[in-house]
Amino acid sequence: MIEVEHIEKTYRRGDGTPVTALSDVSFRIAQGEFVTVRGASGSGKSSLLNILGCLDTPTSGTYRLSGEDVSNYSDKERSHLRCRRIGFVFQSFNLLPRTTAVENIEVPALYSGEALDRDKALSLLQRVGLANRSDHFISELSGGEQQRVAIARALMNDPPLLLADEPTGNLDSASGESIMELLSDLNKEGRTIVMVTHDQAIAAYAQREFYIRDGVIASDGRPPERAALSG
Amino acid sequence: MEWYRTISLALRTLLRNPLRSFLMMLGVTVGIAALTTMASVGEATKQETMRRFKRMVGTYDIVNIAPGAARTRGMPSLTTVEPTLKFDDATAIAAEARTITQIAEVQNAFDIDVKHRDNTTASAIYGISANWLEMHGYFIDAGTPISDDDVASLARVAVIGIDVQTALFPNQDPMGQQMRIANVPFQVKGVLVSRGAGPGGGSLDNIVFIPVTTASKRLFNRDYLTTINAKLKDPDRPEAAIEEISAILRQRHGIVPPGEDDFTVTNPRATAEQVTQVRSTLSTVLTGVAVIATLIGGLGIMSLMLIAVSERRREIGVRRAVGATRRDVMLQFLIEAATISVMGGLAGVALGVAGATIAAIQQDLPPILLWSTIGGSVVLSVCIGLVFGLQPAWKAANLDPIEALRN
Ligand SMILES: Nc1ncnc2c1ncn2[C@@H]1O[C@H](COP(=O)(O)OP(=O)(O)O)[C@@H](O)[C@H]1O
Ligand SMILES: [Mg+2]
Repeated sequence: MIEVEHIEKTYRRGDGTPVTALSDVSFRIAQGEFVTVRGASGSGKSSLLNILGCLDTPTSGTYRLSGEDVSNYSDKERSHLRCRRIGFVFQSFNLLPRTTAVENIEVPALYSGEALDRDKALSLLQRVGLANRSDHFISELSGGEQQRVAIARALMNDPPLLLADEPTGNLDSASGESIMELLSDLNKEGRTIVMVTHDQAIAAYAQREFYIRDGVIASDGRPPERAALSG
Repeated sequence: MEWYRTISLALRTLLRNPLRSFLMMLGVTVGIAALTTMASVGEATKQETMRRFKRMVGTYDIVNIAPGAARTRGMPSLTTVEPTLKFDDATAIAAEARTITQIAEVQNAFDIDVKHRDNTTASAIYGISANWLEMHGYFIDAGTPISDDDVASLARVAVIGIDVQTALFPNQDPMGQQMRIANVPFQVKGVLVSRGAGPGGGSLDNIVFIPVTTASKRLFNRDYLTTINAKLKDPDRPEAAIEEISAILRQRHGIVPPGEDDFTVTNPRATAEQVTQVRSTLSTVLTGVAVIATLIGGLGIMSLMLIAVSERRREIGVRRAVGATRRDVMLQFLIEAATISVMGGLAGVALGVAGATIAAIQQDLPPILLWSTIGGSVVLSVCIGLVFGLQPAWKAANLDPIEALRN
């Protein structure tokens, strides 16, 4: 599904000095895996996820998505990939304010070139457990509910890959856990998930964990068992 | 994104922030309202001027020959014209010109005292050939018109306008009554149908018609004419008649082409168009001002859109993240700008039509609805929206999605 080879990402600060956020990152993620990316703040997790999500391009190295080398794709081509092949979930939900839940879920469909399908949006809302909230405005929903709407939106165009950047970071632990249950279920249904977190307990939901330190993958293995953590 | 979806999204976005939308509309509304009013009033004024001119000259199917080279605007009269156009010239034109069917002679003067007993007024006196009234579409309300016999016999008879009747013969039948024109006695034999106001706003009914021979020999003692009217054989080709008549007169007056003509031949339609052209120069300037006001409205849209783009960075980031291309975002903002501008334009058209109607009622003009102006206003406001929306839309489309999503 994902093949990353020798990726580097260097930003330029305002004064022109370069900041290396990722250096020589290589890995493969197979279809259906649930991977977490863990690391301290500033270690390069978001930079990596933005590249995987085609929001950004690597400074060097190659990124193959389903066998396609997308490292040098144009802005337009990357937009199309984001539209149909990738679903994004953010820490701060990023829903459109003053818009209803169901309208938010439909936004990706506006750009897919397919006819709008209200029923699909409603069934996704049901899938994330908010069937009765379709006409509620975003401001009327709790944080956990908003993140569910955001997940439903990410699923609107049926992307095989879901990317989540600290999806539970703004939630209390109970809502966070239920979001993680939802993501686990989606993974069990066959969707590939890459999730950024700095919380070990959250990382335990995945089958595989990358630990990033200063832009380098320091370890790649099984996360600690949940039971071991809670005990 | 499909068009109707983009437009409905724009409408919903604009309705979500009604105050800002109202402010965005305002400038364009004011500009387009001014434009619509101006254009409608201008057109109404022009049409009314043309109508009044037509009413004054009676017909466009003639050419008028006046003495003097390229005389300045204003009606010719005995006191202002050169004595170069004679009765013989009229006779010669009638005999030789092939492009015309008949001619009428005129000897006129303005501000001549007319009297009946103690009632006095000052009127225009027109000495005319018997065919003049019919040629110009002037109708008799009571009595009979000037006849060929009257002209042949130098009869002291007069056909008067309604203003003269009112001034000299209040509450009595003027027919057969005596009146004095510059102390020469005349008998009233007819009253004209009222013609209303002329192009300058003055009355066309303060007028007395008498036989041209009587005017020349018994009233003014002048042997030259102020105007010769010639009826066109082909009303669509006044130029041919102008050429032919000019040639005849040049020969008679011994004028060799580099030398200046001592007469002027004009077609009243051309003159009317010139007059209204001068008037519409003013309305062109005012229209220019209204267009500038509309452009300033466009600048208002631009600055408010730029603010909106900064405020809606996150929305733009979200749309980009879920698959909107730069083009999608660009179109969304362009359509928003065009939509608000058109809404402003339509409101402006409504206000403008209302304004034009009020102005028309006040100025006693026929209210007219100019579809070209309405269509033009809508097109203009679309263009304003698109042009002034361009920079904000470009800015929105080129936001870096990661940057836009950052807290
Ligand atoms: N647009 C940018 N310009 C300059 N430096 C950046 C930019 N984005 C991220 N960085 C830097 O890159 C490093 C990695 O950032 P990031 O990927 O956001 O880390 P994390 O998500 O793990 O907190 C940090 O040092 C950060 O300051
Ligand atoms: Mg981060």
